[in-house]
Amino acid sequence: MEETPERVLVAAIAAGDERALGELYDRHGRAAYALALAIVGERADAEETVADAFGQAWRTAGQFDPARGSVAAWLVTITRTRALDLVRARGRRARVLMRAAWENTEGLAAPLGQASEAPDRGVERAEARRLVERSLAELPEPQRRVIELAYFGGLTQSEIAAELREPLGTVKTRTRAGMERLRRLLAPLLSRGAS
Amino acid sequence: MTDHQWSELTAPYALGVLDPQERTGFEAHLAECAACRSEVQSFRDVAVLLADSAPPAAPAPALRERILREARQVRPIASPRPPLVLWIAAAASVALALLAGNAYRTERAARRELEQAVARTRDSLAAEQQLVQILLAPDVNTAVLTAKGRPPAARLFWNPSRRRVVIAVFDLPPAPAGRIYQLWAIAAGKPVSLGVFNTRPDGRVTAAMDVPPDLAAFQVTAVTEEPAGGSPQPTQQPFLIGKLSGGE
Repeated sequence: MEETPERVLVAAIAAGDERALGELYDRHGRAAYALALAIVGERADAEETVADAFGQAWRTAGQFDPARGSVAAWLVTITRTRALDLVRARGRRARVLMRAAWENTEGLAAPLGQASEAPDRGVERAEARRLVERSLAELPEPQRRVIELAYFGGLTQSEIAAELREPLGTVKTRTRAGMERLRRLLAPLLSRGAS
Repeated sequence: MTDHQWSELTAPYALGVLDPQERTGFEAHLAECAACRSEVQSFRDVAVLLADSAPPAAPAPALRERILREARQVRPIASPRPPLVLWIAAAASVALALLAGNAYRTERAARRELEQAVARTRDSLAAEQQLVQILLAPDVNTAVLTAKGRPPAARLFWNPSRRRVVIAVFDLPPAPAGRIYQLWAIAAGKPVSLGVFNTRPDGRVTAAMDVPPDLAAFQVTAVTEEPAGGSPQPTQQPFLIGKLSGGE
């Protein structure tokens, strides 16, 4: 069965087609929700975030620029920004830090082992997810930690340094080294995305 | 490769976690440095993939309908003619975003900020439009809430068809730490909680609350101060009381 290309879907949304918005949600809503939940920590807030994010997608679909990345990447960016906005607005940083501390030894990759793959994502997506998990797991724990605090906690480098009681320079070095290593490990996914 | 002082900022910038001052300087640099731009882009691609490491989770099925419903409500705002005051609010927001800019900021960053300001304004417009719909319904009941012997502190709107209550508080200092205000409907002499709220430092707030489906009719509403999170039943005498009138 031929799917509507994502760009066509977004163009339809920009023209005010509600069914296209529903289709976009069916394709990406679950992933957006999982991301939001990992950041905000509570179901109601995660749903609020996803509703906000798709509302923003609905309003700004006309500005989507395929040259800058995929539709999935666009939605991830919107969702993460909205989730971090909500966390900051509610002064909920402490909660994120608590969760990060709880994941201290295992990292975020740990619970994924038992988790079942979401049914609305294809095989390709499941493979991508496994590679991301494996790559994160390959990072030295201190590198993974600073990246997760930045990505899921929205902490700046100096905030991470204060949180971990490490020198700022160390945090910066670890972030960069970790991101470079991820870039190497994830290269198969990155090059495919660019094609 | 980027082998200079800026290279340590590419990853945190791509992750969206630079301090505002650092970001401003770095964006000025980005405008001139192709090597950093391409590095930022590659780290952004990595960051997008990191979303896949979030533990899988499924939203409530109702979320889909909520998103479509909210989309239906937002669209009219962009078209014909919103009330003048909303345009003024939008213009003010854009003007503020312009003032916040400075000489170093690239045009692109300024444009993004404008877009965000407009998006925020639209969000608050959508919320206000919902409020206005509740307030302007023909069957809406209103009440003025006062403390004995004092000027009115809040006004309440009860929309029976939508089963929503909106309380607009205009003169009530924020509850002390660990405490919160709770709004009650008094039905047949018994208080039923409608929800909790707190005021901003200026003593104002507007809050919308759902009325429980089993609450048939009520004439009196009251506000108490309760421990944070609210109480199943009031723990003190109400200090604001108002009787509903109008509608029907």
